[in-house]
Amino acid sequence: MNNENIVKIENLIKRYDQAGVIALDGINLEIKKGEFVSIMGPSGSGKSTLLNMIGALDQADEGSILVSGQNLMEKKDFSSFRSKEIGFIFQLHNLIPNLTASENVQIPMLQTDASDEEMVKRASELLTSVNLGNRKDQVPTKLSGGERQRIAIARALVNHPSIILADEPTGALDSKMGDIILELLRVIHEKENVTLILVTHEEYVAEKADRIISMMDGKITS
Amino acid sequence: MKFRSLIIKNIFRNKSRSILAIIGIAIGAAAILGLGLVTDGLAASTQQALTAGAADFTVLPSSFGGHGSGGGFGGGGGFGGSSAFNGSSGASFVSAGQTIDQSTLNSIQQMPGVETAAGVLRSATEINGTSQPLTLLGIDGQDLSLDDVQVTNGTAFTNSTQIILGTTAATGLNKTIGDEIGIDNQTFTVVGIYETGDYMSDRGAIISLSTLQNLTNTTGVSQILVKASNGTSPTSLSSQITQTYTNLTTSTSLSGFNRENNGIQTIESGSWAITLLVLLVAGVMVVATMMKSVSDRTREIGVLKAVGWNKRRILLLIIGESMILASIATVIGLIIGVGAVEALVNSHILHGIQLAFSVNLVLEAVGVALFLGIVGGIYPAYRASRLAPTEALRYE
Repeated sequence: MNNENIVKIENLIKRYDQAGVIALDGINLEIKKGEFVSIMGPSGSGKSTLLNMIGALDQADEGSILVSGQNLMEKKDFSSFRSKEIGFIFQLHNLIPNLTASENVQIPMLQTDASDEEMVKRASELLTSVNLGNRKDQVPTKLSGGERQRIAIARALVNHPSIILADEPTGALDSKMGDIILELLRVIHEKENVTLILVTHEEYVAEKADRIISMMDGKITS
Repeated sequence: MKFRSLIIKNIFRNKSRSILAIIGIAIGAAAILGLGLVTDGLAASTQQALTAGAADFTVLPSSFGGHGSGGGFGGGGGFGGSSAFNGSSGASFVSAGQTIDQSTLNSIQQMPGVETAAGVLRSATEINGTSQPLTLLGIDGQDLSLDDVQVTNGTAFTNSTQIILGTTAATGLNKTIGDEIGIDNQTFTVVGIYETGDYMSDRGAIISLSTLQNLTNTTGVSQILVKASNGTSPTSLSSQITQTYTNLTTSTSLSGFNRENNGIQTIESGSWAITLLVLLVAGVMVVATMMKSVSDRTREIGVLKAVGWNKRRILLLIIGESMILASIATVIGLIIGVGAVEALVNSHILHGIQLAFSVNLVLEAVGVALFLGIVGGIYPAYRASRLAPTEALRYE
């Protein structure tokens, strides 16, 4: 971790027009490069919305948000930014069921200039690093929940992102498997020196991070 | 993994849905090819039949009142044009007022570009012992086909004592092959029954030209049936004759040909109407299939966007799937189309139609099926590419 901010958010406001709800109400946040941060709060507190803003999946109405030097308030397509800078891990693994573990890991690379050989090699390396080197040709339906989530972690890392955004990554797993996944994320964070932002509503999960950010009703409370 | 591998794998994720789309497009391709084969074959067969024996046009005296649009009997002229017969040259005969002399007939027969020129004499008479009128045509036996005369029973006449009757005349007179008919002071033996496809013509009888000329005390002919040789335009030949013989006019039998063409065009229009209907159904099936495919994969598309795929790549994925479905369906459709028509022809359901295979027809079917695939995939692909990632990821 160094002192350079990889995420800098000021007075960020996000409203959902249809329901008249303010999902994010003046968020101010700075996250250092290489930091492991957890964002904790109950359902509806705005933590996932904030994660989506950092990942350029959604856009705020007011304020400013700078991620890896990119101003995410600009009106443009951020697919290239997501491809290069962000790795997403979801609560549900969201793997493509008819593709093998290796092919699922390669999916984000199809948007890059990588050759077929490079994609296969990179996927193989990552699957080995998440202890699935011997399951790379299996389809997700033949794998356990934990194994699927490990494939999703490998997929998130495949394009060498600078930030990993994990939205309740252990939410669909039992506690034992959840611990294994959290430990894996911690190891990857240290080994790859990648910024890890983890959203959770469970305190024991949040405590794995270097810093805990608590949210309530669209505001950061601590 | 290559992008195209992902497209192919996606197609077979939901086999029943893909098969449904393939069937839809395949039916479209089969319909285009099958109906095209039949209508083109029908057109070719009809054209061949029309140009095989019939005259291209008829030469008539300029003052001939009832210009026929066909040959001697054919079209709207023939004996139906009563004004054509205004003179009498025999005891019980009514024949054409003006005739074309034999020397003109011989000259036209010698003209370059003329394959056959046959003289025809028209007359009307009564059968001895009855007051029943009979239209009588004189033409040489070997030239009958020029006048669309098909002997359906018996044979053509070979001498001056033989006669052939139209089907309607034979029925009306209660005569059949071997019976005798008295006309003026001569007795004729019925040796054949013919059909022309024209009601008026089938009410008549035909004897040899020289016999009718003798009976009517005429040396000329009422009209000349002309067939142009291969490579000669009937229209140019017709113009050449009227320019050379200013007292003659021509009436093209192409009007009959045009009638057939109109019929073929009607069949082709019907064929296209059916094809368009099939294409519409197939198109709806493709759109529905791809829409369902996109809808089922909404969350997955959200993930693809989250991991950095842009709109163009999502568009390519969905249209690519649609295109491959269409390609598979096209091959199957072509096989079904050809197979079904061949089977119908072999089982004699499509009797007398020679199938007209052509590269254009195959390209037409392939083009339309692929077009269907692209168009069917565009809207679902557009919708998929426009999905908001956060909404797609929340989709259950």
